[in-house]
Amino acid sequence: MRCRVVTVSEVAHLLTRAEHYIRQTKYREALAVLDQAIKIDPKNAGSWCLCASAKIEMEKFADAIADCERALAINPNYADAWTKKALALYHLEQYAASLAASTRASTLNANDASAWYIKGICLEELGKSEEAEIAYGKSLELEIILDIKDESKRIRK
Amino acid sequence: MKTNMPLSKPIRAFVSETERMLDTGITLLRKPEAAPGGTLIDVYTYNLDKNIIIFPANYIGLLKDFVIAKQCTYLLIKGAAAKKSGYKVCSFTQDSVYTGMRQIYLDALKDEAKKDKKLPVKKLIEMLFMLYRQFLEDINELPWNPIVNARVYYRMEQLRKTQLYILLKDGKQDMDEMSDMMEIIPRRYFVLDKSMFYARDLYLAKTLPADKLMPVINIPQMKKFDHLEVKEMLTTRWTHTAWYQSKFFGDNMLKIMEKHMAVDWNGERSLDYYANLYQTGVNMTNELLNYMSMKDWFIWEKPKHLLAAQEQVATYEQAALKKIFGDLIEDQ
Repeated sequence: MRCRVVTVSEVAHLLTRAEHYIRQTKYREALAVLDQAIKIDPKNAGSWCLCASAKIEMEKFADAIADCERALAINPNYADAWTKKALALYHLEQYAASLAASTRASTLNANDASAWYIKGICLEELGKSEEAEIAYGKSLELEIILDIKDESKRIRK
Repeated sequence: MKTNMPLSKPIRAFVSETERMLDTGITLLRKPEAAPGGTLIDVYTYNLDKNIIIFPANYIGLLKDFVIAKQCTYLLIKGAAAKKSGYKVCSFTQDSVYTGMRQIYLDALKDEAKKDKKLPVKKLIEMLFMLYRQFLEDINELPWNPIVNARVYYRMEQLRKTQLYILLKDGKQDMDEMSDMMEIIPRRYFVLDKSMFYARDLYLAKTLPADKLMPVINIPQMKKFDHLEVKEMLTTRWTHTAWYQSKFFGDNMLKIMEKHMAVDWNGERSLDYYANLYQTGVNMTNELLNYMSMKDWFIWEKPKHLLAAQEQVATYEQAALKKIFGDLIEDQ
């Protein structure tokens, strides 16, 4: 039991470090840290999803999709992994598949502005402009809510 | 175009069109600390081989698209000017800094004479160049804002709702700017600065056809604006503020803007069209400066001149202070 707790906190620490590296655009470093996390706990879907994030930034889209699928095999309802998969598919211009993934993501987490936005782009690419406008509208609404929150935080600071 | 982020189809097309028309490259960059309106670092201003558009990292969808559309339009205006007639900006010299600071000082003296609580001399001296610089920044930005916004409104129809939110946000920020210095700076300059923003808001409210803020009606913070049109939103705000004085000057500035910006916003996508927009901005800037009695405060020069002048600000400020105050100012 104690061993499990140590593992969880260690992995969480590694994921935080990886996120930090990704924010700093140090993707190789992020992947090295995530590699350690996966060795400790290969069943952590978050590690695979972060790997996908780094690989998308490195334009390794096919690898990113594979990582998303690993994450989704562990947790099929992992909304972020669906969003990342949609994003990687969009970059590969597989709009129909990306639309399916982004729809799944926005169903699992209706507050994910990215998922709605990717859905809007894919619908537009597939010639469904009316549906695209609805998805864009939803994405904008969420972005504005986040922006107003950020602005309030900034003012409070 | 260099980017690894998703972009809507019209924005991708617009960025590619900009690159093609100007025969240049554009890199899109997300940065957590980027200014809300984004930043354009362009080859016509800086010694670079490609243009960079930076926008806040939290802008992931249409907010990001709008920033890109706005900055691409601005880039087209700068690039067209550079290719056609030469791109210039408002810059300054030691003499023009003196002219501006001296005028601010004289106006400050008039204001101070009426005040019960006098401004400490040190603060008054510091305020002179600070205010001069504020107007330099505002005059180099503000006239281009309504031009770029009007063009984006007509060119990128799908971004209108996003644009309305950004306009409201920008307008509020510009209104709040300098409010903490209201008691320090001469009233005339406070009013003039606010008037420019008032005129911009009113111009945009008149130029951009009324559109309901449909995507934001479900947002609690925006509920109070439900069923209001843009014009009502932008005008109501100004007429209900402490800066009502700005209205008189602002209305005159609005007339200047309307006179100069009688432009076909739906015009063809050509370098000539954007070069014409640049000339419109230059003419409007000149008349606004004239109206504010700041004609000799700044000079039109190439961006390199402004960058070099920025390196000399301390020297110019000190020289101007010496000229105004004589031996009362110590050499540094």
